[in-house]
Amino acid sequence: MSSTPPGVFQRKATGLVREGRTRDALFYNIMWSSVALTFGFFWLFYAVYPGANAIIGFLIAGALGLPGAFLYAMLTQVMPRTGGDYVFNSRALHPSIGFASNFSYVFWLAVVIGVYTTYIAEYGLAALARTIAGYTGATWWLDVASWLTSSWGLFIVGTLLLIGSATLFALGGLRLFFRIQFWVFIVYVLGALLLPMLVGLFSGDGFAGRFDAYAANLGVTDASTKLAASATDAGFASTSFSWSETLKSVSVWWFIFGFIYSSNYFAGEIRMQRRTHLFSMPGAVALVVIILLLLTPSFLNIAGYDVMAQFGLADPASYGFAGAPAYAEIVSIASGSGIIGSIVIIGFAVSMIVWLPQTILLASRSMFAWSFDRVVPEQLSAVEPRTRSPLTAILVMLALSIASTAVYAFTDWFSSLAALLGLSFTLLVTAISGVVLPFRHPRLVAGTSFGRRVLGIPLLSLVGGLAVLGFGTAITILLIDPWSGASLSEDPLMIIVVGVVYVVAVAIYLISRAIRRRQGYDLDLAYRELPAE
Amino acid sequence: MGLFKRRERTGGADGPAHRLYFATDIHGAEVLWRKFLSAGAAYDARTLIMGGDVTGKVVIPIVATDEGWRADLYGDVQTATGEDQLKALEDRIRNSGLYPHRMTDEQVAEVGRMDEQRREAWFAEVMLVTFRRWLALAEERLEDGVRCFMMPGNDDPAGIDGAIEEATRVEACDDRIVEFGDYRMISLGYANRTPFDSPRELEEDEIYARVSRLADQVEDRDRLILNLHVPPHDSQLDIAPALDADLNVVMSGSEPKLVPVGSTAVRELIETYQPLLSLHGHVHESPGATKIGRTLAINPGSDYHTGRIAGCLVTLAPDRVRHQFVTG
Repeated sequence: MSSTPPGVFQRKATGLVREGRTRDALFYNIMWSSVALTFGFFWLFYAVYPGANAIIGFLIAGALGLPGAFLYAMLTQVMPRTGGDYVFNSRALHPSIGFASNFSYVFWLAVVIGVYTTYIAEYGLAALARTIAGYTGATWWLDVASWLTSSWGLFIVGTLLLIGSATLFALGGLRLFFRIQFWVFIVYVLGALLLPMLVGLFSGDGFAGRFDAYAANLGVTDASTKLAASATDAGFASTSFSWSETLKSVSVWWFIFGFIYSSNYFAGEIRMQRRTHLFSMPGAVALVVIILLLLTPSFLNIAGYDVMAQFGLADPASYGFAGAPAYAEIVSIASGSGIIGSIVIIGFAVSMIVWLPQTILLASRSMFAWSFDRVVPEQLSAVEPRTRSPLTAILVMLALSIASTAVYAFTDWFSSLAALLGLSFTLLVTAISGVVLPFRHPRLVAGTSFGRRVLGIPLLSLVGGLAVLGFGTAITILLIDPWSGASLSEDPLMIIVVGVVYVVAVAIYLISRAIRRRQGYDLDLAYRELPAE
Repeated sequence: MGLFKRRERTGGADGPAHRLYFATDIHGAEVLWRKFLSAGAAYDARTLIMGGDVTGKVVIPIVATDEGWRADLYGDVQTATGEDQLKALEDRIRNSGLYPHRMTDEQVAEVGRMDEQRREAWFAEVMLVTFRRWLALAEERLEDGVRCFMMPGNDDPAGIDGAIEEATRVEACDDRIVEFGDYRMISLGYANRTPFDSPRELEEDEIYARVSRLADQVEDRDRLILNLHVPPHDSQLDIAPALDADLNVVMSGSEPKLVPVGSTAVRELIETYQPLLSLHGHVHESPGATKIGRTLAINPGSDYHTGRIAGCLVTLAPDRVRHQFVTG
């Protein structure tokens, strides 16, 4: 037995130090939050948000996500179980709502995965092929880049990557994935974050000259002039700062700050230190803000807002590209070095590649939680004995992901941001859970350090209320921003689709409940609070 | 339409179904014990089984001060004035799986000066007061017709065995064969060796010997239940974070490295005797159910520090066994 802090006596027993470290959960949240992808996105989207200020945009997005980060941390501390928001919402609101909100989250993850697979092909592999052509003059690499950005190129490469991710789990299980992920993270930080900062700081003036030289190897002379001319034809005009455009651009940054709490999904597998989640979730928000505060000005030092907007608007063929360059390729051009450029593009690509298995893993954890409560058949969480991989769940997610890749490769049904609305509604439901939990399960909350009241309001309800405001504002922006893929003006069907997914999920729950009752199981028992008086 | 086929709620031609509720690893959380006692009525279960690790790990001194009382919960200092506030503070501590103990500053200092052996004995005394109260609570709360079995787990000190044996409504089941309904149950609270050197650990061959000695006495293994605190090795019910020499979690990339920590002897016992059902706990973070041969093996896991009790309802019939995880 030991006496730890003053006044606390612990005896010899198992589990006293079986706790995860804060930095590991922080690391996980940052890995999943797609900083590089979003940053890459923004410079393309900048053309459609003329006058938007990147720094103000991500600061607003960070502020909207911060109360939610605290709320997720608190709820994870109160109910640390595998399944994350499914557990919170099914217990705090109603089992059908908990299932529907989590089902919707998994559905929209399956939709958004197509963004990643097609972007890997277009802005990762195609950009890499073009970089090799741009620095060596070997023009057949241009044909490779062109094929990679064609519909079939996007689909085939995306599908192969997805099958590779699923095979990784099937053959090597989680252990192999995490071993790979560690090295991927190093490449990601070096290539997608540190090198761009350094190139931005030290590349100096002369981007236009380097771009011209690079494009000359692709067969186009005086490319910077042609870029500007094509952008002007497409409607580009230098614009002064605009608050409304800056607010709308929050849609893009929401890709990071709306989804930086994912460590809640493995909370059930390891007991965290008392304040781990409080540091790792809001901490991830703060850390990403710092990264972006460093990355943005250094990137702006390369070529400035106007050139970035031109890249977003101009026809890529006018300056010899098969597709507009994302920030990784722009950094590559600015570096003037094929090797540095390749490392940056590889870092950018692997940050998206690793997101695929991470997402499959997250979805399979949710499916496990549904299956554990018998809402869906047990087979969905069946585990392969040797690797402990949930094979059925992985196969289901693989099929959905390939379908999503096909949609993004061959159609324009969804914009890159379209899934954000569906994903954000789950966040909003969780925020409402935070508000009502202290009233529906007072004992559950009272036993934690979040049981106190502020101005007579339960602390959890107060933070939940702020999260409702944050998530609600973000959803409002998505509904207003015509480029979000979910705006009421341009894509009025999207909110109906989001609603239909919820209705389908509630129906699945109710049907499952009826079937289980006939089989002798009462699903309601899984969520029933036992009296403790 | 097999999916919609109605199954009989009874056990069919060979007799009625028997529903039991199994929970484990409540680690001193009083609110969970109270919930456990109410599970018979809430779930319509005729048998309750508590699978071990029932006592807590931490004593929180509530120190008398000039203004009232003060407790230090890992740096979160809480105060109380008056008996009502003091009782509320004690309830909060109890429900978190900790033992509140009213003391003076001098007594706290004295315990701090004790050597390990004396402090373990002091802890056992403090713990036993609460544990006896729990058993008394069971006498008040358990409904007629509901049988309640309890065994210690690897974390429980030696003192609680006697208290369980003396209890009137709670029945001891450790290291013996007990009967309920048409079923016979063999229980063992010991675990295989852990890095924590907890009070009840055995070598694998000793675990096998103790259980097989009892299992050999049971002829009808179609109605045999094993209630063994530690889960079978490499069964999906025993996956826990790997620990290094300093008992820190080993990380693999950004997530904890998970490894099987169950007992090879328990696995061998299940494979050899093929009971109808085997019940386990010990590894909180690995809830689930799996089949080992024809045996359904279950670990409901534990979230004891959340105030919610993780359990499993098991319906036994001569020709089958069904289970449903519940969190109350």
